[in-house]
Amino acid sequence: MNTDDLNFAYKVRHALNEKLDDLPASTTDRLAAARKAAMARKKADAPARVAARQNVLSVVSSHLFAEPLSWLGRMSVAIPLLVLVLGGAAIYQFEQEQQIAELAELDAAVLSDELPLSAYMDHGFNAYLTKSAQ
Amino acid sequence: MATDKELSDFLEHVERRAFKQAAYAVRKEESALDIVQDAMIKLAEKYGDKPAAELPMLFQRILQTTILDYFRREKVRNTWVSLFSGMKPAGDEHEDFDILETYESEQGSSAAESSADQVERAQMLDLIDEEVQKLPARQREAFLMRYWQDMDVAETALAMGCSEGSVKTHCSRATHALAESLKAKGIQL
Repeated sequence: MNTDDLNFAYKVRHALNEKLDDLPASTTDRLAAARKAAMARKKADAPARVAARQNVLSVVSSHLFAEPLSWLGRMSVAIPLLVLVLGGAAIYQFEQEQQIAELAELDAAVLSDELPLSAYMDHGFNAYLTKSAQ
Repeated sequence: MATDKELSDFLEHVERRAFKQAAYAVRKEESALDIVQDAMIKLAEKYGDKPAAELPMLFQRILQTTILDYFRREKVRNTWVSLFSGMKPAGDEHEDFDILETYESEQGSSAAESSADQVERAQMLDLIDEEVQKLPARQREAFLMRYWQDMDVAETALAMGCSEGSVKTHCSRATHALAESLKAKGIQL
């Protein structure tokens, strides 16, 4: 845009600004009310939020790990840990028992069943028998 | 980030111009006020923590989106209205109502008490106002953001969601169209 265009644009701007002063009071009041409504719902400042989060964390950690621990703080750490360890142990135990039961069932089946004829034709089985006999 | 005072000052600084911008677009004073209020609340709620320098661009973007939303809602509403009222064409009530007529009569009545110069000045302002309103929407937005809201080309492009080249083109066309239409009405700025 050349200088004449710019001058013209700024003259229009001046005219529009002048016209703004003629807005009726009801409109300006309503705009002021809208501004107040917007300000009341302003988003909290980001650093304040971060600070608040850090405060929460520091409060939690100080509660849990500070020197004079309250029994509630101690319990809130100890109980979940205990439950976790006991749960782990119980699962391990259960898995072991399952494995033993499966093996026992397999052994019982092998011992009680008659050997099929085809087993004697199997070279691998014969090799296994001779090896286990030694 | 913008402090409460910075945000409040910014809103106070732009609220009247934002209202006029919305009124140019939707041609209904009440709706324009609602749009400005919505835009202000959205800015405060979602971008209240942004740096003060970014507020003009963000606010303009929100304002334009809110105006678009208004037109979308109106379109849907008009579809339903025309569907149920049968013969009545959509958008009819908008054609009946012209905000400028109201403005002109108000301006005329207050200016009538003043001197001849003031009357002439007021009439000229009305005509400029009218011609700005008649500009194509995109040209008007670009023109108002650049020269009324003091936004630079990059900010305007971001707020309008177009390239900087388009902003320059819109501004140039708006300026020439405005100059020609005002000249045709005998106004020499």
